[in-house]
Amino acid sequence: MLEVLIQLLPSVLLEGLILGFVYAMIALGYTMVYGVLELINFAHSEIFMSGAVAGAETFILLKGAIANPFILLALAILIGGTVAAIVAILVERLAYRPLRKRGTTNRLVPLITAIGASFFLQDLVRLIEGLWHNAFYRRYPSFEVFEATYTLPNLLGSLIILLTLWLVFWVVAYFFYWIYRTVTRTQGISRKASRGLWIAALVLTLLSAVIYRTTIFGDLGLTIQMKSILVVVISFAMLYGLNWLVHRTKLGIAIRAVAQDAQTASLMGIDPDVIITYTFLIGGFLGGVAGVLFGLLYTLVHPYVGFIPGIKAFTAAVLGGIGNITGAAIGGLVLGMLEMLGGTYLTFLTNGAMGTEYKDILAFAILIFILLFRPQGIMGEQVGEKV
Amino acid sequence: MKKLFQNSAFLSLLIAASAVIFGYWLLENPRSTLAFLLTLGALLAAFMLDIPKWLKVLVGGAILLLVIPWAGFKNSFLFELGVQTGIYAAMALGLNVVVGLAGLLDLGYAAFFAVGAYTWAIFGSKQANQFMPWHIFPLPGAYFYLFMLVAVVMAALTGVIIGSPALRLRGDYLAIVTLGLGEMVRVLANNLDHPINITNGPQGITPIQRPPIDWFIALFDKFGIHMSRAEAYPLFFYFLVLVIIGIVTLVNIRLDRSRFGRAWIAIREDEVAARAMGIPLLPTKLLAFATGASFSGAMGALFAAKQLYVSPESFTLIQSIMILVMVILGGMGSIPGAILGAATVTILNVDLLKTASDYLNDLRNAGFVLDLGIFKYNFANLPNQLEPAKYERMVFGLIMILMMIYRPEGIIPERRHVAEMKEKE
Amino acid sequence: MSEAILEVNEVTKTFGGLVAVNAVTMHIEKRRIFAVIGPNGAGKTTFFNLVTGIYKPDRGSIVFDGVDITGRDPAVIAGMGMARTFQNIRLFGSMSALENVMVARHVHTRTSYADALLHTPRYHREERKARDRAMELLAYMQLDHRAQELAKNLPYGEQRRLEIARALALEPKLLLLDEPAAGMNPQETEDLQRRIVGIRDDLGITIVLIEHDMKLVMSISERIAVLDYGKKILEGTPEEVQNDPRVIEAYLGPGAAEGVQ
Repeated sequence: MLEVLIQLLPSVLLEGLILGFVYAMIALGYTMVYGVLELINFAHSEIFMSGAVAGAETFILLKGAIANPFILLALAILIGGTVAAIVAILVERLAYRPLRKRGTTNRLVPLITAIGASFFLQDLVRLIEGLWHNAFYRRYPSFEVFEATYTLPNLLGSLIILLTLWLVFWVVAYFFYWIYRTVTRTQGISRKASRGLWIAALVLTLLSAVIYRTTIFGDLGLTIQMKSILVVVISFAMLYGLNWLVHRTKLGIAIRAVAQDAQTASLMGIDPDVIITYTFLIGGFLGGVAGVLFGLLYTLVHPYVGFIPGIKAFTAAVLGGIGNITGAAIGGLVLGMLEMLGGTYLTFLTNGAMGTEYKDILAFAILIFILLFRPQGIMGEQVGEKV
Repeated sequence: MKKLFQNSAFLSLLIAASAVIFGYWLLENPRSTLAFLLTLGALLAAFMLDIPKWLKVLVGGAILLLVIPWAGFKNSFLFELGVQTGIYAAMALGLNVVVGLAGLLDLGYAAFFAVGAYTWAIFGSKQANQFMPWHIFPLPGAYFYLFMLVAVVMAALTGVIIGSPALRLRGDYLAIVTLGLGEMVRVLANNLDHPINITNGPQGITPIQRPPIDWFIALFDKFGIHMSRAEAYPLFFYFLVLVIIGIVTLVNIRLDRSRFGRAWIAIREDEVAARAMGIPLLPTKLLAFATGASFSGAMGALFAAKQLYVSPESFTLIQSIMILVMVILGGMGSIPGAILGAATVTILNVDLLKTASDYLNDLRNAGFVLDLGIFKYNFANLPNQLEPAKYERMVFGLIMILMMIYRPEGIIPERRHVAEMKEKE
Repeated sequence: MSEAILEVNEVTKTFGGLVAVNAVTMHIEKRRIFAVIGPNGAGKTTFFNLVTGIYKPDRGSIVFDGVDITGRDPAVIAGMGMARTFQNIRLFGSMSALENVMVARHVHTRTSYADALLHTPRYHREERKARDRAMELLAYMQLDHRAQELAKNLPYGEQRRLEIARALALEPKLLLLDEPAAGMNPQETEDLQRRIVGIRDDLGITIVLIEHDMKLVMSISERIAVLDYGKKILEGTPEEVQNDPRVIEAYLGPGAAEGVQ
């Protein structure tokens, strides 16, 4: 039983990581808009969806004309991202900006508008697809090159297992230490104790490595598909590019300035409306690319495909600390892995009584837990309430 | 001309006349959607405009208690429409307490409807035998009334359980968390057929007991109206819903005018100031949440009895959103607004969109050719996907966006200052 | 010396790296008019927010009328008899003036949920009591003719008065006023001055106010505390405060005191 769980660990984590990159890219759109407007952009899940659908259309339309799947993918990403960015900007212009100009005080108003925009876009895409093809489910074509499977060295799997075990032991040890501290009412954590904790975790890891040596260092059969590699590479490049954009360019500085204080920024000659448009453009483009990658991974896309990934990406954004760009990326990766772990192990541990259908609930449970106990997320700072 | 319309006597006459004309028209053509809408329009006008109270009661009573039941005998769809409108109106009134008065955006409201529906569905059918001893289920239909109260309690309890963590969160987080919790209840309903079969999973539960109505048939027999059981049930549910709407409206008004109503609005307007004035935040929010939930729970039990069947499919996110749209359309915080919003959206959803779909289908099947000289269109070429009834999300989304941009206070805005308006004139 | 109604002991509050209130100690006696002054950003409003429970102090304790209220919920503290107004008026805009005041009667109204639903005699009795008391307070602040007006439609000066009326409806022992004279013309300020003294004399309520209008502060306060960069630099009578060089320095910068003298 335990051996099976350990053996599954590397492939489950790897799958989670791949999914996590998609979540991370969607989460960035939520977090950027939240940073600038303090609004949960519910329509972002549909911006993601429109990218996924536009990508599918690109593949299907150009499949005959262009033989090279890599060029096709590049075009799909470009078109998917652009379409999503346009949708994002239109939503901002047509739905959010009128509210901003009117200066509404009721905080429910923008939120309800966002939900309305989300629902409207779902059926708008359905209508367009329906009129065009008389069907609204679209399938990404499969290419042999993308489906090709590569075997990863067993050592990598062993390393992943060992590191995970270490982390798990450390978290468990820390948890008990935390209980001990709470019971004895000691304040703070000493440097010595914290070193002791990770050394203890290391010892336990080595111990279990000896006990389960046949499993951990045996044949793990860790494989990865070409399309997964592409997803990781492209997302990583995008995230890196965004990080550069936000921290190294004038536009990035302006975005961060508006996020901190729109009024002061406008006194410095920055037009908040322009910056907000750019924010939606960037977030929308990333969301659209995430949509294409999602389609590449899961093949089937339709107008309602955005809802669940959208909620999860929002959870990721909250997990990482909403408004925090690095946090959103980390939150996405963590959530992707947690979800895969939960989905796989829950079935095992309950003997099939609770299957993968509970995996969506897991994300919600994490969301609620984080919001209640650490609303600032992993990376965020505590923000005082304005009184 | 303008003066004429401000004249109460003239208005009274106009409303009475239109009520009679449209009502008569509906009786003659019970299948005419237009006649039905115009009759409801007369009802609404009677309620909204400045006419004597006795006339309001007279017009309202005549339309709701005579015209619609009578027309309903000829076209039972009207009962279906009436009962659905009533169920949704009661839920909209419940959500109005949560969203409109207390300002808490709840996107998982259908969850409480599900709790109420399953409460009666499980015990009012053989389903409960699956996990309880004694094999006495289904309970007799007379227990329905008791279980409506049980459903109220269960839904309120669920509201407290969901609310105690969720209501600690800030407004926008609350929206997304209630959305998640609402989905959770649906997933649970879908999956609690194993390891213990409580909800029977995706197949749903059927048949469900209905309250006995022999007394109801006997009552009408005395007046010389003879009905079969199949005819009597729609009428019975129609009247039952009317009674419940009355009760729910009264509860709403009374809470609104009590210290609880004032506390809810204070929290909606400014949480910090409300707390500084001695209003405990979480208990007050929980009270609003549980009150709203209990309305929904009661209607859930009624829904189960009316439909004879419940399944997780009836409690999706779109249901929650639909009820929210009703509240927004009518006007957040406004009691007549919630009822009007419920009526409008229900009629739009179960009647108008379907009628439009059928109409387009007829044109398509008939191969109708539209010839405008320069523009020719053969309806046989109309894509099958073009079916207005399937685009409820687009309709709801559009209503939400447009209302928020152009009229966030709704069709009938909340009126907390009626006295003041009257004094000024 | 009479006993203290509010004892603030070594209270500290930090936001991120900023120490907004730094080990402030204050003892405020019953039936006094006590002023807290200091330059902008000195931590005066944060101090109010700590006392009323909106912020939890990092360190220190707050004792109100003999009860330790450190870290208690603001609603509980309000119910114990501590009322306040806000620097940037925070009325319930979509409610009438009367309803605004009645909201603050919440803790004094003994209507249960069932009473409200069933309209029991108790509901009617309590509701009438709340309404009568609210009307009395509106009349006291000369706002009774505005009772049915929406709060957001009142002119600025009347909104300030309505906030005080609302605070009084809590039947407080201690009333905290956050810049009550801000934005008022000299006439309105003079009127306000009489009202504040009246509230203390008529109702026996202790008053703590934050104010920038020095004329008002000096003429009605019996004791004054000066905050600067979150620290209490001085406490004394108006004369003592007026003549202290540290106060002038706090407002105008170091070295300014010599220039003035």
